[in-house]
Amino acid sequence: MNISYDFWIWVSAVMTLAIFSFLYRDNPFYKIAEHIFVGVTNGWGVTFYWHRVLWPFLFDPLFNQHKFLFIIPFVIGMLYFTRFIPRISWLVRIPIGLSMGYYVGASIPAGIQAYIIKQIQGTILTPQNFQAWHAGNMGIVWSIILFIGVICTLSYFYFSREQKGVLKVSARIGIIFIMIGFGAAFGYTVMARVSLLIGRLQFLLGPWLGIID
Amino acid sequence: MKIVDSLSRIDRRIIYLMLAIVVIFPLIFRSPLSVRVMPPVEKLYYAIDEIPDDKALILNYEIDPQSQPELDPMGFAVIRHAFQRRIKVLIMCLYVQPLGLAQNALTQITNEFNSVAQTNADSIIYGRDYVYLGWVVSPLLVMLGMGESITNVYKVDYYGNKTDTLPLMAKIKNYNNVGLLVSISSGDPPKWWVEYAQNRFGLRVGAGVTAVSGAEFYPYLQTGQFSGLMVGMKGAAEYEEMVEEKLGIKIRRRASEALSSLTYAHLVLIAFIIIGNIGFFIKRRQK
Amino acid sequence: MKRTFPLILVFVFGILGIIPFISPHPTIQGNDEFLRNNLLRIIAAFALVLGLGSLLKVHTDKIKRKMQNWQYSWVLIITFLVTSIIGLFGGIEGDGILPTRIGSFQFDIWTIYWHTEVPLGSTMFALLAFFMASAAYRAFRARSTEATLLLTAAFIVMLGVLPLGNSISPHLPSFAQWIMDVPNVAAQRGILIGVAFGMLATALKIILGIERNWLGGGGAE
Repeated sequence: MNISYDFWIWVSAVMTLAIFSFLYRDNPFYKIAEHIFVGVTNGWGVTFYWHRVLWPFLFDPLFNQHKFLFIIPFVIGMLYFTRFIPRISWLVRIPIGLSMGYYVGASIPAGIQAYIIKQIQGTILTPQNFQAWHAGNMGIVWSIILFIGVICTLSYFYFSREQKGVLKVSARIGIIFIMIGFGAAFGYTVMARVSLLIGRLQFLLGPWLGIID
Repeated sequence: MKIVDSLSRIDRRIIYLMLAIVVIFPLIFRSPLSVRVMPPVEKLYYAIDEIPDDKALILNYEIDPQSQPELDPMGFAVIRHAFQRRIKVLIMCLYVQPLGLAQNALTQITNEFNSVAQTNADSIIYGRDYVYLGWVVSPLLVMLGMGESITNVYKVDYYGNKTDTLPLMAKIKNYNNVGLLVSISSGDPPKWWVEYAQNRFGLRVGAGVTAVSGAEFYPYLQTGQFSGLMVGMKGAAEYEEMVEEKLGIKIRRRASEALSSLTYAHLVLIAFIIIGNIGFFIKRRQK
Repeated sequence: MKRTFPLILVFVFGILGIIPFISPHPTIQGNDEFLRNNLLRIIAAFALVLGLGSLLKVHTDKIKRKMQNWQYSWVLIITFLVTSIIGLFGGIEGDGILPTRIGSFQFDIWTIYWHTEVPLGSTMFALLAFFMASAAYRAFRARSTEATLLLTAAFIVMLGVLPLGNSISPHLPSFAQWIMDVPNVAAQRGILIGVAFGMLATALKIILGIERNWLGGGGAE
């Protein structure tokens, strides 16, 4: 065992143990650590927003390079703060509408292509999709299973009609696929959560206590 | 009856303690495990390996502290791979939190390579071999803007240097000069790269994701929208295995070291679930 | 006016967002780049400043009204101010006007990030491993065929993804991979396509002014 004498390693260790203390029960140490986290994260954010966005992209062009056209985005951006003045708070809708309109508009053709067309292309029964599995003739079987699974999963979420007859059967098959998919996702989730725990314990056992390299 | 009751009502602190013990012991008493590389990781490895000499790799280092244990080993392995093969790398982040971790990875790996370099050509030189672009606001604007001009989006790099003065940026103008973009992220950024950059500019995208969200990225791998995929610590371990096997980089494999702890933790969890179900079924029968 | 003008803005900028995806004309692409780099980027930066302002307002109100756990709000505000001052005046690389080093003891923004934010953020998520274990033990019951299927798939994947799976059977990792590649993709894709149609419908409703809930942030009217 080779305990560290570094001030900042001890700060990290104390912060880690303060958060872990929540496992016993909620307590002041946990709450303090939680609030420190939010404070530091936002302070870190402010640093970068100033040095990497506001200064090089707005204030430097405006005041040093005299590009007075940048007054327009500056004024529109400042309208966000009218949210705190009840009489003129409706002005906040202008920058929101402007940016949200663009982002929503940009997402329409992009989303159709990436999430609908390409996904349907990957599902339909074509020789290209059969070969994509690199499994010879079994590729055809996997593609058929995939095709049936996608159709049945979609039918499970179709609530505009009562689920009876053919729709009931396909919905039942759909739920089987969904349960297998969610089971697989849970299996991966377990791996994820334990990995995060391993990471923290590696720090406590390593740099802090010096038990492992 | 008492045994049946206790099977269904084990105190949560016992569960916590068991989990902590089975994770800690393999970390102290290390027993390396061999890793079998699966096709999604193999695809990503070869996609990076086959980047032409005149094109760059963009690494979207979207690793925040919350996902560091899973994703950082991926980032390290990909950067080592790129540096060993002398692939030019641009590293960037879409958010502020990952910036520090990206810089840490670059500093550490650059020092690793430069400590054994004999000549200038062997060394990893900032501005010539890689550029750390850092962060600018709004992911969508970055993804679309880099398709036209990278230096217009990142006027200065992370260190404050003007990007149009860096030698590498004279050759890498936009996505046309990029062979592949690998997004290592705990959230949706890999999907956004496909949605915006790939659809509009034809950019090839690979991904490294946390295991929590891993299952939802497989549809993109199947359609070919992702050129490869690493999922969780296991994916990181597989990539480390490939880097060691193919490139001969024998270095400490952080993800692979954790596999023993991961294995025992999984077994403990499965055991507890089975115990809980045994108690449940016995009680149900008795009713 | 207070509602019409923002709706017109959403419509116009929505179209401006769609057109560059459809038309490769240099004028359109050039205008799109100008719009993104010079207008939208700066507005986005102010949005985040607003978020910060809201956070500070919430906590200062908590302190003023002495609400529950108001003392911890002081911790947040003080750490925020200290970190901001060190970052803004000390510089990102510690090269600002504020010195961030006393002898060998450093307290620049990078050191603070590495030794407070990283451990705190990581540990908060590391807690989830314990909660997940406890929750899985208490709630994961094979009550029905569907639940049994879910459990079985979970166990196969949990064992198959690790080297242990290869020791149990060389086919287990391949089977786990097949579960991820075929039934999992089928389920995830079905959900993805459904969600995509929903997102598309909502996006169109927003641009066409049918969906107006977002206007609610403007106070009365």
